[in-house]
Amino acid sequence: MTYAVTEACINCKFTDCVEVCPVDCFYEGENMLVIHPDECIDCGVCEPECPEEAIVPDTEPGVEKWVALNQKYSEIWPNITERKDPPADAEKWSGKRDKMDYISPAPASA
Amino acid sequence: MNVMQLKPSDFETDQEVRWCPGCGDYAILKVVKSVLADIGRSPDEIVFVAGIGCAARFPYYLSTYGFHTIHGRAAAVATGVKLANPNLDVWVVGGDGDFLSIGGNHTLHALRRNIDLNLLLFNNAIYGLTKGQYSPTSPVGTRSPSTPNGSVEQPVNAARFALGAGAKFVARGADTLQTHLPEVLKRAHGYKGASFVEILQNCIVYHDGAFGAINDRSKSQNVTVRLEHGKPMVFGKDNDKGLVFNEQTGAFEVAEIASLNSDAEVAVHEETNIDHAFALAQLEQPGFPVPLGVIYAEETPHFTEARGFTGTKGDWDRETLKAIL
Repeated sequence: MTYAVTEACINCKFTDCVEVCPVDCFYEGENMLVIHPDECIDCGVCEPECPEEAIVPDTEPGVEKWVALNQKYSEIWPNITERKDPPADAEKWSGKRDKMDYISPAPASA
Repeated sequence: MNVMQLKPSDFETDQEVRWCPGCGDYAILKVVKSVLADIGRSPDEIVFVAGIGCAARFPYYLSTYGFHTIHGRAAAVATGVKLANPNLDVWVVGGDGDFLSIGGNHTLHALRRNIDLNLLLFNNAIYGLTKGQYSPTSPVGTRSPSTPNGSVEQPVNAARFALGAGAKFVARGADTLQTHLPEVLKRAHGYKGASFVEILQNCIVYHDGAFGAINDRSKSQNVTVRLEHGKPMVFGKDNDKGLVFNEQTGAFEVAEIASLNSDAEVAVHEETNIDHAFALAQLEQPGFPVPLGVIYAEETPHFTEARGFTGTKGDWDRETLKAIL
């Protein structure tokens, strides 16, 4: 089992989740975070931290595609272990639905 | 032994895992499932026995046989399970309260009898299930509902306790070190006799950060020394420090490797050396790196062998018992 980050994270990337993860299993893209499904210990501590409610357990219906997306990008994006400032326009994207069209496959810049 | 291709998910159950979000027990559960899959024994040849406490919920979350017994008595029940059917892999799971407080004597006797059990002590240095009272492993000064002015008692060093009880296999790991802990558990499982593993485990609610950087993946290298039999005990992010054994004091000292005359001055880990094992087990933060890995392992006949049992049901059948009685 694992938790997965969904499209609600896109362009928001608040990183509160990163701060609490005990096994540092978040990976950072240019405008989204993902969880490495093989590293996640399923402890759930990140879920309530996300102001966008972007993190869901894989026991919920329809999460398979997000787990697959998390798996794919966690293997190519860099590991993130500390909180950082969200994008300047994060609030503008907050609460917006169907953001998948805006995902950037690029890794976060160092 | 029936070796099968198993996945960690084969050991999941339909039970909702109920620990606090962020609990180190999740990390240990994940490792145990992957280790069981690697070992490859069928779930019906494995038993997890637990006492009472947060850690003791473990058997519910594994599709092996399991027994949630009474507080502190898991080692005693597991002893019975193993003697009745020596072919089972028997694991004992408990916290610092279960293993070292109410169950201290059972832990002691299981170890000195050298029953072929794998004992996993989840040490979070606090009583989590009962909401945060100090435990036998809490450091001096721990403020808790039962020690509002801070505790004054010396904590038990679990590894030294185990060595003192006569354990022949003593190891230590940490919950979030997800690549290190599996190797420790595999060694423990492979050891024939009582294998004692202390797992430093974070209680995010009542004792968050109790082990500092030890179980922080990115900082752990600076505050722990990873033991490998036959290898020099070096540590630090750039392996720039080492443990040197002072023959006069019988204790380990920390040295900067650059300041030594020769790299050969760094002590080599001999896991069969009981004096080194005691000296290693007592190294604690601050001042010393905390040793992780197999501290001590000595091959010796385990209980069933020493009693001359064959490990089959014939050991306990009616005819055998008649002959004894």
